Amino acid sequence: MANMNMIQALNSAMDIMLGRDPAVVLMGEDIGYFGGVFRATEGLQRKYGEHRVLDTPIAEGGIVATAIGMSINGLRPVAEIQFADYIYPGFDQICSELARIRYRSAGDFFAPVTIRTPCGGGIRGGQTHSQSPEGIFTHVSGLKVVMPSNPFDAKGLLITSIEDDDPVVFFEPKRLYNGPFDGDPTKPAVPWSAHPKGQVDEGYYKVPLGKADIVRRGSDVTIITYGTMVFVAAAAAAAANVDAEIIDLRSLVPLDVDAICTSVKKTGRCVVCHEATRFSGFGAEILSIVQEECFWDLEAPIQRVTGWDTPYPHAFEWEYFPGQARVGRALKSVLEPA
Amino acid sequence: MSQYIFKMPDLGEGTVDAEIVAWHTKPGDAVTEDQLIVEVMTDKAAVEVPAPVSGRVVSITGAPGDKVAVGSPLIVFELNATAPAAGSAPIASAAPAASTAPAASAAPAASTAPAARTAPAARQGRVMTSPANRRRAQEAGIDLTAIAGSGPGGRIVRSDLDHAATSRAETSAATAAPAAGRGAGSAAATETTEVKVIGLRRLIAERMSEAKRNIPHFAYVEEVDVTELESLREHLNLSRPKDAGSLSYLPLVVMALTRVLESFPQCNVLYDAARGVLVRHRAVHVGIATQTPDGLKVPVVRNAQSLGLWEVAAEIRRLAERARTNKAGREELAGSTITVTSLGKLGGIASTPIINAPEVAIIGLNKAVERPVVHKGSVVVRRIMNLSSSFDHRFVDGYDAAAMIQALKERLEHPATIFIPTVTSP
Repeated sequence: MANMNMIQALNSAMDIMLGRDPAVVLMGEDIGYFGGVFRATEGLQRKYGEHRVLDTPIAEGGIVATAIGMSINGLRPVAEIQFADYIYPGFDQICSELARIRYRSAGDFFAPVTIRTPCGGGIRGGQTHSQSPEGIFTHVSGLKVVMPSNPFDAKGLLITSIEDDDPVVFFEPKRLYNGPFDGDPTKPAVPWSAHPKGQVDEGYYKVPLGKADIVRRGSDVTIITYGTMVFVAAAAAAAANVDAEIIDLRSLVPLDVDAICTSVKKTGRCVVCHEATRFSGFGAEILSIVQEECFWDLEAPIQRVTGWDTPYPHAFEWEYFPGQARVGRALKSVLEPA
Repeated sequence: MSQYIFKMPDLGEGTVDAEIVAWHTKPGDAVTEDQLIVEVMTDKAAVEVPAPVSGRVVSITGAPGDKVAVGSPLIVFELNATAPAAGSAPIASAAPAASTAPAASAAPAASTAPAARTAPAARQGRVMTSPANRRRAQEAGIDLTAIAGSGPGGRIVRSDLDHAATSRAETSAATAAPAAGRGAGSAAATETTEVKVIGLRRLIAERMSEAKRNIPHFAYVEEVDVTELESLREHLNLSRPKDAGSLSYLPLVVMALTRVLESFPQCNVLYDAARGVLVRHRAVHVGIATQTPDGLKVPVVRNAQSLGLWEVAAEIRRLAERARTNKAGREELAGSTITVTSLGKLGGIASTPIINAPEVAIIGLNKAVERPVVHKGSVVVRRIMNLSSSFDHRFVDGYDAAAMIQALKERLEHPATIFIPTVTSP
């Protein structure tokens, strides 16, 4: 076991996979010589060579398209899109090609591509460095969509994603790279070394996709969340003195419906939190499932806490970010006598 | 002084009017809030309406037998100056017209708001409560429309439910109803007595005429050797669970019927005449023709196909009791998909039951008696019971009807097969 932040944990996962499987290659903008803008691939080109860790042009469509071709021909590429905000030029390749290779070829070909991309706000990044587009990808059949909330899960989930024979879009909440964040920007930053999930096995291990983590057991209400909001929700529930059961989904596709429904049937109340915008967001899908599966156990209308339906702002970031106050209001509303 | 106009409340889904069964007050009477003032009847059940306010009765609308539209004025009260319940919003007598315009569409006008709190069935519009509470209420057999909500916006919250559950015993005792529908007419000094055909009797009369007029009945009588069934019944009665009542043939026949209907779906049907559609039901909701002091009622054993023998027996007993004591609600008296009628010891040797429309079949049990029967060349004593059944010949052919009764006979003559799942033929 070692203390790792999320960057180091991701780096460790890729290091291990480059070492274990000669088919694994890394590719992306500035990931080789420079080691990545967030340093996630630091030292890996030096260790494995330019033919394993490739610097690419600034062309996301090209990065994804190249990864698809490599994967069909036997390699196992891990492509980095520098920010999720920049993923859209590659969207056609992801949606029309990558997600459908297995279907289109009737299973003759498959595309074991992992696309890593930092997402989310809270870093004063404005509209070009703060977006949370995960919901868009959950809507594309054929993709798996993953978002860890801590170093331990990040490493295990990334290894599982790389070994998966089908495409995975792997979102990394960048606000959590260096430490957990409870949504209060005025507090001093907390490093991962102070958190149990910052203790990471240095060797090979996997965290399965489609298996949610119950971060906290509770009986008053179920909070379903993932990524940055896991810590915000936990802090808000503690501040409101609510005995919340907090579920970190970890992977959105496949989704751990059992964990969600077991918990909601137990508590009868449900709040869904994500940073992404509200309208047609992934939270709406969770609400639908909860409604379909748990209707007769619901004590109150399900609540959503999300970003506002605007571009991620340059200013007023903390009015936009769904912080503890908004989670607290949702908890209060859902806990009204029923 | 002010007047309070109480309108005929909406007594349940789809009710457009209700018939006055009996008045328990008259103009000039002083009544107190919650006192029983009138019994009315919808097409499904009798409902007792308590006074929404305390005051003096100024006028009443409708004589027993009259139908009064939902939303039209039923009683006018005069409230005295010290009228209680500030929240009951009495109508100032100076300006009654605007706020009391009957408007048969009858949205819950302000003047009926207190009724929602005091008169169980008078609550208008939808019940507001969470899905979880709806489930709890259903499981506990609590009628949500009869509960006043204490939550935000009048919502029924869980504590209201708990309260209702604990006070249910007293409430049900308090609402034990006197027999309805026996209004004595002008019993002057003649040798005849006139009995007005109102209430349940009128309803029965209308239903029977309609069924007999519209449905070409195909009657079919077959005798069933119930010697083995009787032996099973006796055995089960000796070893029955402590809390179970003694078993009659009826639950056994209901059990057998649910099995037989798996192979005869055309007999477990409701005919939707308006659409010209026969609606086949997978669930078997068995109506049990039940004699009550007021007349014939048909409470319903729901989903009989998924109940066990003792459950069926208990449910029949419970429903019969509720029907006889006038406690059966609308939902317990409607929704059957097939009906069984049994007169027990009065069963006779054959009968021609009238179909409980819109169903298409009714199964009648006649009296079971020991008879000499020729069996393999010698005369032996066997217990024989006839089944007298009627089918809607428009939709059930005689061949199918006969085959269905034969299948029922086979099950009843070999009682073990009642409890063996049906092997569906291809």
